[in-house]
Amino acid sequence: MKASQINRGIDFLRDAGREASVIGWRFFDWLAVVEWRRLALTWLIVLVGFGMLNTPEPAVWFIFLSFGIKVLAGGKRKAELQAKEATLQANVATLERRLMEAKMAALQAQVEPHFLFNTLALIGQLIETNPPEAARVHAHLIDYLRSTLPQMRARDNGSLGKQVELSKAYLSIMQARMKERLKVKFEVPLFLHSAPFPPMMLQTLIENSIKHGLEPKIEGGTVNVRAFVVDTALHVEVCDDGVGIDLHADDGVGLANIRERLQLLYGAEAELVIAMPPGGGACATIRLPYKMMEEA
Amino acid sequence: MNTGRPLTALIADDEAPMRDLLRARLQSAWPDLQIVAEAANGVEAVELGERHRPDIAFLDIRMPGLSGIEAARRLYPHSHIVFATAYDQYALDAFEQGALDYLLKPVTAERLATTCARLRTRMQARAQAPADAPQDIGQQLARLASLLENKGAPKPPTGYLRWIQAQVGSSLRMVSTREVLFFQSDEKYTRVQTATSEFLIRKTLKELLDELDPEEFWRVHRSTLVRVDAIAEVARDSRGRQMLKLKNYAGELEVSRNHSYLFQQM
Repeated sequence: MKASQINRGIDFLRDAGREASVIGWRFFDWLAVVEWRRLALTWLIVLVGFGMLNTPEPAVWFIFLSFGIKVLAGGKRKAELQAKEATLQANVATLERRLMEAKMAALQAQVEPHFLFNTLALIGQLIETNPPEAARVHAHLIDYLRSTLPQMRARDNGSLGKQVELSKAYLSIMQARMKERLKVKFEVPLFLHSAPFPPMMLQTLIENSIKHGLEPKIEGGTVNVRAFVVDTALHVEVCDDGVGIDLHADDGVGLANIRERLQLLYGAEAELVIAMPPGGGACATIRLPYKMMEEA
Repeated sequence: MNTGRPLTALIADDEAPMRDLLRARLQSAWPDLQIVAEAANGVEAVELGERHRPDIAFLDIRMPGLSGIEAARRLYPHSHIVFATAYDQYALDAFEQGALDYLLKPVTAERLATTCARLRTRMQARAQAPADAPQDIGQQLARLASLLENKGAPKPPTGYLRWIQAQVGSSLRMVSTREVLFFQSDEKYTRVQTATSEFLIRKTLKELLDELDPEEFWRVHRSTLVRVDAIAEVARDSRGRQMLKLKNYAGELEVSRNHSYLFQQM
């Protein structure tokens, strides 16, 4: 009984000690970072408070002590605290950025090796037979890679105009390869070029159109890219007059990625719609909230 | 050459610049070889190959209409096959193991010279011992075709239904099965529910059940087919019925007693 009472007493003292030290350090930290102006104000309040109680002595001690601590150790402590805070924030920012990058890297379409090797083979052969054409295709390939490889992707990629430009690079390469089998039509009004549009989505739709719609078709066909605004929604549509969609073919990573990214970026406000028009072929439409410009 | 008459060849590639290059290279590496036909797709390759019966057929692997391998399976009894490809990992592996000839694109002069030298010896051997191994080549081609079907092709066709067609206005809306949350039969029609919209189709639940991947969709009720991946949780309501909560969907679906075994111990 007695022993337990003593123990309880010791526990209480230990708790009290811990609390006091925590409060002490808090006070210390506060002293370290508080501005001199506010500290002076605190001194005035303390002085007036204790003055009214007619015992100014503790107030004087408090002022004297806090002044001493602030002068002697405050600078160092303040730097320490700021450094800690900065590290924490930096860690969070880095983590967030890494996570975002990892997500985007996983979600974005990859450059297909088949496409890369075929294009390089084409350039290799054009160097001998048609050097100016080789230089053109080579320049288009660089543009295309710049837009596709995550580590090379420029920051200002997020406008519809930019995406159209990059898609044209890809289509020029494919036209050099498929010749008259591939025809291209763009109906994107100039005023929509500044509208924000996520990277790599338009390319994925165009690549799908060529790969699944037109390449398997012997006589080839046309890829038609259209952009228009309906109410408050921007519609970007990629249509082809190819072989259409095989009902038993998997819809592929490309489309699933677009859906997932739209969901991440816009929630229920955006949608990817695939349709087979009455005339044949396939149409893929991305619908998302229309804004004139990217927010700064 | 050894037979007295010049050897003939066919070139098949869907990309015109590639045909031009191969023709130019062949003409300088093997001036005696007569290029009797050029095809821009697999169907044309078979047609021209059967008409001209060239000694050698240079076939691109990926061509519209028919793939180079499919075309080769029709042409190999009469023509020696040489595949041309820029990149086809699986095919290249198969070539390394087998006796089939191949060319890597873009075709360089040195590599073509080596291939031509090898072809000359092969053609000589073939002239001396005709029909030595077409059967073996047939088997190799069949293996290659199935290999490409399984791995090289964009996606293996599984045979299961992957797209649901719904009439919306004048156009046919294509709903990927990955978008579908569940199907529910509704008197005359079947309701297709996605995260964002709802469609009515004429296909019955029974037909869907037969055509869809049974791993992807489960029947949880006489009138309900649910996509397994869309299920968020299973809970019991106050009357003891099992209810499914779905991702991206507010409502709940009832699991009938007959199907409750699907969610035992989950």
